Amino acid sequence: MPRKYVIHTKEVPNRFKAISRSGVIAWEEGCLKCAVCVKTQCVYHVYEHRSLDPRQMIDSIDNECMNCLRCVQSCPKQLIHKAINPEYKSLGDDYWTPDIISKLWYQAETGKIPVSGAGYPGPFSGPNFDSMWTDMSEIVRPTRDGIHGREYISTAVDLGTKKDHLDFKGMELVEESAPAVVAAPLPILLRVPAFGAFEQETIKGWARAASRLGTFLALPAEMNPEEAEAPQSCLIPIVSLPQAQSGQGNGHSLLVEILWSEHWRKAFERMSKSHPGALICVRVPFLKGAEERVLSVAKNGASIIHLEADFHGRSQQDETLLVRDGIRSAHLALVQEGIRDEVTLLASGGIAMAEHVAKAIICGADAVFIDFPILIALECRMCLRCKEGLSCPVEINTAPASWVASRVVNLVGAFHNQLLEVMGAMGIRDARRLRGEVGRSMFFDELDEAAFGQMGYLKEGYELE
Amino acid sequence: MDIRKRSLALFYCQNVPQSGIKQRQALEKLYGPSIKLFPLPCSGRLEPLHLLRALEEFADAAYVVTCPEGACRYFEGNLRARKRVELARKIIASIGLEEDRVGIVMNEKERQKSLADFAKELMSRVSGLRPSPVLRPRTGFEDPERKQGDKL
Repeated sequence: MPRKYVIHTKEVPNRFKAISRSGVIAWEEGCLKCAVCVKTQCVYHVYEHRSLDPRQMIDSIDNECMNCLRCVQSCPKQLIHKAINPEYKSLGDDYWTPDIISKLWYQAETGKIPVSGAGYPGPFSGPNFDSMWTDMSEIVRPTRDGIHGREYISTAVDLGTKKDHLDFKGMELVEESAPAVVAAPLPILLRVPAFGAFEQETIKGWARAASRLGTFLALPAEMNPEEAEAPQSCLIPIVSLPQAQSGQGNGHSLLVEILWSEHWRKAFERMSKSHPGALICVRVPFLKGAEERVLSVAKNGASIIHLEADFHGRSQQDETLLVRDGIRSAHLALVQEGIRDEVTLLASGGIAMAEHVAKAIICGADAVFIDFPILIALECRMCLRCKEGLSCPVEINTAPASWVASRVVNLVGAFHNQLLEVMGAMGIRDARRLRGEVGRSMFFDELDEAAFGQMGYLKEGYELE
Repeated sequence: MDIRKRSLALFYCQNVPQSGIKQRQALEKLYGPSIKLFPLPCSGRLEPLHLLRALEEFADAAYVVTCPEGACRYFEGNLRARKRVELARKIIASIGLEEDRVGIVMNEKERQKSLADFAKELMSRVSGLRPSPVLRPRTGFEDPERKQGDKL
């Protein structure tokens, strides 16, 4: 049996104080000076060594408080109140919620799975991936107990073409029929985000992380760091049509990405000539009718197709089109055509949590790209100030490459462990068999339709009495 | 006169009208690095230490914007903030700084002003101050008055 794929993580401290949910309002005025003050009884000793970070005005009581609310309940004069930190509330947006962002920070810092605590209060369904429930009925089987289990759960995936049969000439395998694949030890590839206050040093760090993890980093060809700084075999240069025609890119890449356009075949042929050893991935934007485009690209010889949604997991054109459905319909179109195994379907956009990786694979992707999570791992607050030309509050541009690499390894380590947990609980031992396993998941909208669809619909503008 | 020539640390209660992330970013864009905005869950959260550390680290002046008197969500938060600001003013006066480097502005019940109004008003009020002698001259900060090295 091959050696178990383990991601070694170690704690990498934040460079800036994290913004926490808690906002303690503790007053001194009117204090009764009780013999035993509730502040001295804090089990986390939050009030004993209090400090203030003057640059960000972050008080240590907020960051160390565990929200047990004992001090709030026990103070006889009710001098302690708790509120939600306004800085926390303003993190991110309605897709990249403060909760997601702060959990990504935690994973990048510790490399551990975030635990949300006693009980989940809901909501139990939401848009996009949140409306998918996975069948975890195998969670009771101790041998498949996720990360601590005795059975080996493989997360390895193949990128490339697998032919439906092999051809032999006598005892020799005909070379054209051999599978042309690149193996990745986990179905998570990294991708340079569309925007952010990152620098060449950050990209170097990401490349190093990809090489330590054994996975790949997709990046625009012009950002490519020097050979000495990062091994080229773990990079996927993204080449545009003019760049392809001018013969850009070097020969060491295993994978190359080109953009879909009306003339994608031209770039494709050009690249397959200049990069004979590399597999070429075609990036198809997730627009209306993307499944037909995916199908035509697959029939025209591409072995890897990357379906790209926007960073909110929606179509760039139409906000009602969700990447979840896009992956499903592209996958099903390929299945129906009988060529599913001849192409690899990659998905990107809106992958914000570890569960989204598993869910995107269940919908039919072979592997996913994560882009903004690797930026949030560097303490990004998704404030989009960099888009406006304002300074980055956490100065990502000054982060050293070694710190960047370790943070991303931690994050992907935590994602990998969660993938193992989900697969163990679903009773699946191989990530390749998770692909398209919609039988082991439920889609809330479909269940809702089946149960209550016949009761009629509420017209817009009307309310139920 | 350019009202951006002094740096201001502006603390504000999150219940001040129009003080969301969008408005905050717009203000930061408008005034550049000369304004630093810190939202608070309630102005009563503020301690003299916040104001003094701001003066010590980066600001020529530190001000607080609170809800109108009697309209605090936590009943007395803004009244307590006022007391603390008074204390901070006494402290800085005792070391020879101008009292006006620290202050509190309460919103009015009848005519509520937005965060942007307060920022504009306070920036112009602060621009009349001389550069803070507490701050060391920073490299690359083109302020001739500060470079001469004010001493107390």
